Amino acid sequence: MTPAIEIRNLSKRFHVKQGLFGKPREVRAVDGIDLALPEGATLGIVGESGCGKSTLAKLILGLLAPSEGEVRVAGQSLMALGRRERAKLIQPVFQDPFSSLNPRRRVLDVVAMPLVAQGGLSSAEIRAQSLAMLERVGISAEMAGRYPAQLSGGQRQRVAIARALVLRPRILLCDEPTSALDVSVQAQILNLLAELRRDLGITTLFISHNLAVVEHVADEVAVMYLGRFVERAPAAELFAAPRHPYTRALLASVLTPEPGLGVPDVGLGDTMPDPSNVPTGCRFHPRCPVAIPRCSTEAPPLVGGAECHLLAP
Amino acid sequence: MSLLEIRDLHVRFGATAAVRGADIVVERGETHCIVGESGCGKSVTSLAVMGLLAKGAQRRAGRMAFDGIDLQPMSERQLSRLRGDRMAMIFQEPMTSLNPAYTVGSQMAEVRTRHKGGSRRAALERAEELLAKVGITAPGLRLGQFPHQLSGGLRQRVMIAMALMNDPELLIADEPTTALDVTIQAQILRLLAQLQSELGLGLMLITHDLGVVARVATRVSVMYAGQVVESAPTAELFANPQHPYTRGLLDCLPVPGKLPPGSQLGTIPGMVPKLTEDFRGCGFRSRCGFAQPACENEIPLTGDNHLCRCVLAQ
Repeated sequence: MTPAIEIRNLSKRFHVKQGLFGKPREVRAVDGIDLALPEGATLGIVGESGCGKSTLAKLILGLLAPSEGEVRVAGQSLMALGRRERAKLIQPVFQDPFSSLNPRRRVLDVVAMPLVAQGGLSSAEIRAQSLAMLERVGISAEMAGRYPAQLSGGQRQRVAIARALVLRPRILLCDEPTSALDVSVQAQILNLLAELRRDLGITTLFISHNLAVVEHVADEVAVMYLGRFVERAPAAELFAAPRHPYTRALLASVLTPEPGLGVPDVGLGDTMPDPSNVPTGCRFHPRCPVAIPRCSTEAPPLVGGAECHLLAP
Repeated sequence: MSLLEIRDLHVRFGATAAVRGADIVVERGETHCIVGESGCGKSVTSLAVMGLLAKGAQRRAGRMAFDGIDLQPMSERQLSRLRGDRMAMIFQEPMTSLNPAYTVGSQMAEVRTRHKGGSRRAALERAEELLAKVGITAPGLRLGQFPHQLSGGLRQRVMIAMALMNDPELLIADEPTTALDVTIQAQILRLLAQLQSELGLGLMLITHDLGVVARVATRVSVMYAGQVVESAPTAELFANPQHPYTRGLLDCLPVPGKLPPGSQLGTIPGMVPKLTEDFRGCGFRSRCGFAQPACENEIPLTGDNHLCRCVLAQ
């Protein structure tokens, strides 16, 4: 069976100017990512700011052209598809429901827009389908006549989800969909997404920095560091037995609501990852608490889903 | 005598009540966390203490005292002598709270010389010492750098060091790690906890993150719709939450290992009410499963050590 989404050796480099006369520097935002995701699966992608997760999202959505490699959705190369075709296959939900909805359009029109753009439907059909999808995400017909500014953050995110799903895409890409929301609202949105995934069988990519959320929603997790997946494993396995030192540090930094445990020492030091200056060898070695001399010179081998010298036999 | 004592604080912006009954006591050497969702009044409470409310805000309180000194009748001038000296504050966004046009060293030195006098050189030495204390490598070099040359984690460390320039007794931190990555958050919180016990500070930490609260707080106050609805020692609050809002909030959290992945999270239906000036009673009643007619009356915060503002607890 063809995977719902397949990524081969995907890379994206940017050239950033340094000052007025400086030589442009190369930023390797995404650096050789491979991925195949079966139909209906949910992949969580975690990583800290600057790790390239949002660039990866844009590449997967076809909003950026890759420097190398390709993204294939349902067996077709994304770059070979037109915008309309792409929109029918893959749709995003972004972090900020305040800036991702047009403030001058009513909710119903926001959700109807993808259907209008695709063409071929009568306005009555468009209206009916849009209202049905809004109802599906918990927005009443009465609220559909309002403007985004008249809705709460959670309601706006529901509208963004309805807009993403109205074309019945194969893949839903959620980039930090609950980061801007309060916890009580976050729970509602996560429950809604879980329900929709189950009912519609959509393949989901869920990008987040919140590991507790990712553990809750994902079947499989990829940990991203400076443009690469340093570890990939089924969610239960990754959270129970993380292999890569970076994954271990990330998990150790999650502050679960358990009083008395204090704040753990994650042991990462204070060197910050810099995508314009990716270290040689293993890209994590300057911060790694267990690095050995080999780590700074040789690229780490891939062992059991994790790229690390220490895991090599 | 408590380090900070706030009784029955009310803040209004025009016809909107932002805080309508905050009671918070911070003791020396303790970390008191104020937790709540956006708009609950937690930041406004801290700004009211520091006298940093926007123009047009109306503040009244039963009592508001720092180390026994009544803060209410103080003039702006008197307050500014206290601020940055005996009581200091750290904000969420270090980029906007550092001046981009001055070096780290000159901003830090000014805090010292302005309150304590002395030479600029002595102040810079002190700054270097504190930068090292908050875990910054090559502190001498950092003094000459501008804020934009530092990463987010470093900037937040600079903010903390700057807040410590005059050995404050009370440190108010408003979401100090919210803009940071999780690994950096853990480092900064560890640092704060360490400094707090070393220097015997009273720390008032404002956050929306119950994970942070559980790990660093001595005592927790939960705010909802402008009121403190529950306040208890940390372990007690998590083990035995009393207020329906606190219970609902704890149920919303995905907790690794506690809840099977994919299962339904608890939710709190409904929305926060609009807090007009004539709003009375419990702000949570429209979302509460236990609401009753008595909830429309003013409800006092009752209890000894574990305080709760709910008709069920009366």
